[in-house]
Amino acid sequence: MQSWRRKSLWLALLASWLLILLGVFPLLRLAVPARPRAGAPQGWPSWLDAELLQSFSQPEELPEDSPQPPQAPRGGSCNWGACFDTSKCRGGTLKVFVYPVAGPISETRRRILASIEGSRYHTLSTAEACLLLLLSPDTPAGKCDPVPPQWDGGRNHLVLSLHPAPCLRTFQLGKAMVADASPTVDTFRPGFDVALPLLPEAHPLQGGAPGRLRQHSPRPGVALLALAEERGGWHTAGTNSSACPWDGRCEQDHGPKQTHPGATLPNATFCLIPGRSPDALHFLQALQAGCIPVLLSPRWELPFSEVIDWTKAAIVADERLPLQVLAALQEMPLTRVLALRQQTQFLWDAYFSSVEKVILTTLEIIQDRIFGASAHPSLLWNSPPGALLALPTFSTSLSDFPFYHLQQGSRPLDRFSALIWVGAPGQPPLKLIQAVAGSQHCAQILVLWSSEKPPPARWPETAVPLIVIDGRRKVSDRFFPYSAINTDAILSLDAHSSLSTSEVDFAFVVWQHFPERMVGFLTWSHFWDEARGGWGYTAERANEFSMVLTSAAFYHRYYHTLFTHSLPKALRTLADEAPTCVDVLMNFLVASVTKWPPIKVPYGTWHQEARPPPLAPRGPGLRQEPQPAAQDCINQMAAGFGRMPLVSSRLRLDPVLFKDPVSVLRKKYRSLEKP
Amino acid sequence: MCASVKYSIRGPALIPRMKIKHRIYYITLFSVVLLGLIATGVFQFWPHSIESSSDWSVEKRSIRDVPVVRLPADSPVPERGDLSCRMHTCFDVYRCGFNPKNKIKVYIYSLKKYVDDAGVPVSSSISREYNELLTAISESDYYTDDITRACLCVPAIDLLSQDALRVRETAQALAQLSRALLAGGGFSTWTYRQGYDVSIPVYSPLSAEVDLPEKGPGPRRYFLLSSQVALHPEYREELAALEARHGEAVLVLDKCTNLSEGVPAVRKRCHQHQVFDYPQVLQEATFCVVLRGARLGQAVLSDVLRAGCVPVIIADAYVLPFSEVLDWKRASVVVPEEKMSDVYSILRSIPQRQTEEMQRQARWFWEAYFQSIKAIALATLQIINDRIYPYAAISYEDWNDPPTVKWGSVSNPLFLPLIPPQSQGFTAIVLTYDRVESLFRVITEVSKVPSLSKLLVVWNNQNKNPPEDSLWPKIRVPLKVVRTAENKLSNRFFPYNEIETEAVLAIDDDIIMLTSDELQFGYEVWREFPDRLVGYPGRLHLWDHEMNKWKYESEWTNEVSMVLTGAAFYHKYFNYLYTYKMPGDIKNWVDAHMNCEDIAMNFLVANVTGKAVIKVTPRKKFKCPECTAIDGLSLDQTHMVERSECINKFASVFGTMPLKVVEHRADPVLYKDDFPEKLKSFPNIGSL
Repeated sequence: MQSWRRKSLWLALLASWLLILLGVFPLLRLAVPARPRAGAPQGWPSWLDAELLQSFSQPEELPEDSPQPPQAPRGGSCNWGACFDTSKCRGGTLKVFVYPVAGPISETRRRILASIEGSRYHTLSTAEACLLLLLSPDTPAGKCDPVPPQWDGGRNHLVLSLHPAPCLRTFQLGKAMVADASPTVDTFRPGFDVALPLLPEAHPLQGGAPGRLRQHSPRPGVALLALAEERGGWHTAGTNSSACPWDGRCEQDHGPKQTHPGATLPNATFCLIPGRSPDALHFLQALQAGCIPVLLSPRWELPFSEVIDWTKAAIVADERLPLQVLAALQEMPLTRVLALRQQTQFLWDAYFSSVEKVILTTLEIIQDRIFGASAHPSLLWNSPPGALLALPTFSTSLSDFPFYHLQQGSRPLDRFSALIWVGAPGQPPLKLIQAVAGSQHCAQILVLWSSEKPPPARWPETAVPLIVIDGRRKVSDRFFPYSAINTDAILSLDAHSSLSTSEVDFAFVVWQHFPERMVGFLTWSHFWDEARGGWGYTAERANEFSMVLTSAAFYHRYYHTLFTHSLPKALRTLADEAPTCVDVLMNFLVASVTKWPPIKVPYGTWHQEARPPPLAPRGPGLRQEPQPAAQDCINQMAAGFGRMPLVSSRLRLDPVLFKDPVSVLRKKYRSLEKP
Repeated sequence: MCASVKYSIRGPALIPRMKIKHRIYYITLFSVVLLGLIATGVFQFWPHSIESSSDWSVEKRSIRDVPVVRLPADSPVPERGDLSCRMHTCFDVYRCGFNPKNKIKVYIYSLKKYVDDAGVPVSSSISREYNELLTAISESDYYTDDITRACLCVPAIDLLSQDALRVRETAQALAQLSRALLAGGGFSTWTYRQGYDVSIPVYSPLSAEVDLPEKGPGPRRYFLLSSQVALHPEYREELAALEARHGEAVLVLDKCTNLSEGVPAVRKRCHQHQVFDYPQVLQEATFCVVLRGARLGQAVLSDVLRAGCVPVIIADAYVLPFSEVLDWKRASVVVPEEKMSDVYSILRSIPQRQTEEMQRQARWFWEAYFQSIKAIALATLQIINDRIYPYAAISYEDWNDPPTVKWGSVSNPLFLPLIPPQSQGFTAIVLTYDRVESLFRVITEVSKVPSLSKLLVVWNNQNKNPPEDSLWPKIRVPLKVVRTAENKLSNRFFPYNEIETEAVLAIDDDIIMLTSDELQFGYEVWREFPDRLVGYPGRLHLWDHEMNKWKYESEWTNEVSMVLTGAAFYHKYFNYLYTYKMPGDIKNWVDAHMNCEDIAMNFLVANVTGKAVIKVTPRKKFKCPECTAIDGLSLDQTHMVERSECINKFASVFGTMPLKVVEHRADPVLYKDDFPEKLKSFPNIGSL
């Protein structure tokens, strides 16, 4: 007992001392106020009395803002709100008047004027115009024009100079906007002036060459880097790309440097472009070549920087850190390189490949400013097919267009409107209406009555609404954006087309996966006719095709808007004069937008036998060579577009079990297989 | 404590008499000591107790005792800011140097109190918000406490409120920062240096004070609302005119004059005698006017965005906050001041769908960039960071797309419409283990395809050497054998350097039944769909309603959602994606199970492109007696279960079912048409 007691006493003693030792120090530290330690502070201190800090504004009181009157623009500076009078643009649309040129006129200039005149912006009266365009002379030696008559201090004027014009102006620019090639950042007024690209002397006026990138590959070029040289050539620097594994790490191999003075287009992944103004010429070359421009502290404004998101296609780096830039380029993830390269090609083709595109883009930018809230959303400018082909007048909602469903996570409506064009004989297409109305996807049937005969008073009973529209006897009418069309998909038909319900159903299901393309039953193909030295096309059955006939085809209703509002008037007139041309024109239009071929779906051979002999010179099933006049149509179209946009396809999309050796009962579209 | 110790010492003498009493004492003593020990232990070692949380090395100081700096009256006043400053002229990038992480380093000057000659403070102490701002910076990845490593320095002088500022003296204090890059809340186009200054929002204190639950987009009670109080009479007249013309749809609010005591004026707005709660009233309007006040920047913008009301900016020359990266067109309407009288008709012309989109976008901007001082600070630093490291910059979509859009959208990595030239041809990759005889037959068959440009054999057997060179079939194109380090299925999808073409044909070593016409046609189809998987045998995934999960289907169906990579064309880029960018543990899972690499590839491609596969040519009965062809293998019941499991596993890793179901397949234009076979490009299709 005693020893137990003693032991426990010692234990208690020991514990007490431990307690004192452990306990007192922290208490001491608490009692003495903490002193900041000498040495580097660790971050912004968290103040003990942070709660006591005052807010910068006193929330209890209303802010005592001394009101300020509207501001008048200060001298010299202009911005859109202050210097442009939008009230002149009646109906909120841009109308452009171009000052006629006094004296002799160069060929280039004449064609520039022609392309503006052909556009939907052009007007001939200065009273109607809300933008007056003054073209600067295109040769350095040219004389500047005198002050134009309606100058009015430059208000609502755009002075457009495609090439840097060194001539002395005889007048002050005043409130005029300037569209200049590669303007310096110091004088450029963002949101008011327009920055143009610096174009080479021999830039094509229309169409233009496509980009040089022929494959989706991050590094097809031999070199990683090309340097712009003063003489205008490119200087490629080592680093063999085939030695670059796909994870993007290239061996440091600064092999023999090569100079190709003759080569105007660089063959490399990245193109280093110095920041001085003359080097802006290299920028377009790099863009066309699919070589990602790396701009070293550019002193000039990038072209169309107001609307184009250049971070998606080019890299603006600091010239003072060349090594860091090089390292970053080599380390750049492959996915990014690939995306940048593709974007260079898209931008080149959409806005820069021809003088006409550059000018139309300039006008489109100004129109966007006038439109305000209903301007192109940024995505329309920066993803294919580009703002010149995606009109905000159609819709500002991206999911209404056929092009952006993937980006938007949306899909087209799963109904279609059938648009039946009734031409000269004026027979109501009763059988066709029944076949189309039988489709579960059919929302309505529109009959476009373009015959001299009055339409019949009674139409067959159908499960879907049937609307008769009185056409104006013009072929191009069939592509007019009628407000009655309320579905994304249109099934365009002729009165004498012959289709079965299951053909319609299957074609529509296919179209839903390719809403930007035309899905048709009958096809034509184009070819280069060596003998005639021009394009030709044929309805002969062949192993490939490039056009589908609009007498039986699905396509997006947006193409009606595009056909009516964006095509040059001359081309539409041509189509009206030679009716077979209208198919060619529509196919040209869609192909130039999508860059893909149309899609063919199966079409039963029994239609030909069942049909009465055709009355009209055109129509499905009629395997007739197009007339010589029509042959010429394709060449006129190609000239109008500036290039041949048609693309050939060698495939047809059939139902999965089409003609497979399996029970017919298993097949969903069994009637497509009728012999 | 001491007492108890003393007592214990005396203890032994008393024990015999007071036994029970002593026991109580001892127990008490021990309890006290024990409790003390526990308490001390907790005190010393508890990681998150109140006291030890402030690590002793981190400063915890009072705002009042900061060093005082006296500014002599004649100290230099800096020149007016250099208006021609640009990133590449005034910003000292050398200080940012090379940084592998592509992140700028920010240093904060320590807080000092500046007083003038007379000892009067130049500025009041820092404000709560400025303290928050600096705290947010110091807690972010950008912060450094080493001024030599910093490329951006932030002064600890509070400039947030111009009211309490003595301009000249503050300027003296900032003398060393004359070319400073300014982040300010009310730039005009006249002074804003494009690409150099950063226009930031004016923080609204109400953001933290008032709890305002989100209100979905849609039509609201008032079409247009003005809630600002200090407005120029000219503007007020215009607003009154608007109200008179459009009646109920327009509501113009003003200060309240007859508020009872204790009601904060800032939280109330009045219209005639009607009192409205602010900012709640903003949620009742579709559009809210933001007019110029004394300054261009207005805190009301933040309140308006938060309420999901579309701001109508009527302040010419105002540089909107973060306009360098934010697309204000999507969240606001900018109306020139001279067009103020037309504002109603301008707004009415905006379609309802677009308005709702703008409302959603406005709220998202507030949540992401206006909500707190911290959000503003981080966005500002990100903008500067993007300028310094442009090659690592955040994209337009990252800045502007709300999370819901980001989730639903797909950005196809091969978005450029481009048909690769036929001359390029394709590279066939045959994965083999030891079926040499069958492999040689495949090689011979494939080599007959005109567009084949190279043949690559991936020898996946480490225990056996590939046959000698002389034994391989002689073919017209280069044949390469790659030996792998491990027998893994994913070796089939490795982006070998030997692949020089864009198109890759993956083919199993037992697929001998495909004709040359079929393979050539498959390549042609791939050229028209270069961003898709183009393959021969098709498969389908189905939702099993009984089991509530996905099911794999290989029967003769009318639909297709996958193609087997036992014979499929695809872009070599997908090899790179498969090897380096496959989400989750799918790659390891495939290698461990030795199955489903083809399903994984189908998932990957569909997920990244958002597009369906293309099945080419009619279905074949793979009658191959000596080999277990794909179809024969698929019939196995356990195999089907395993494949279904793969689909469910992958769907959960991807977080969605990316596969797309289609009802079509690709055939040659004249397939089974009544047309002379001799004239068809691909006559030998579908034959057995």
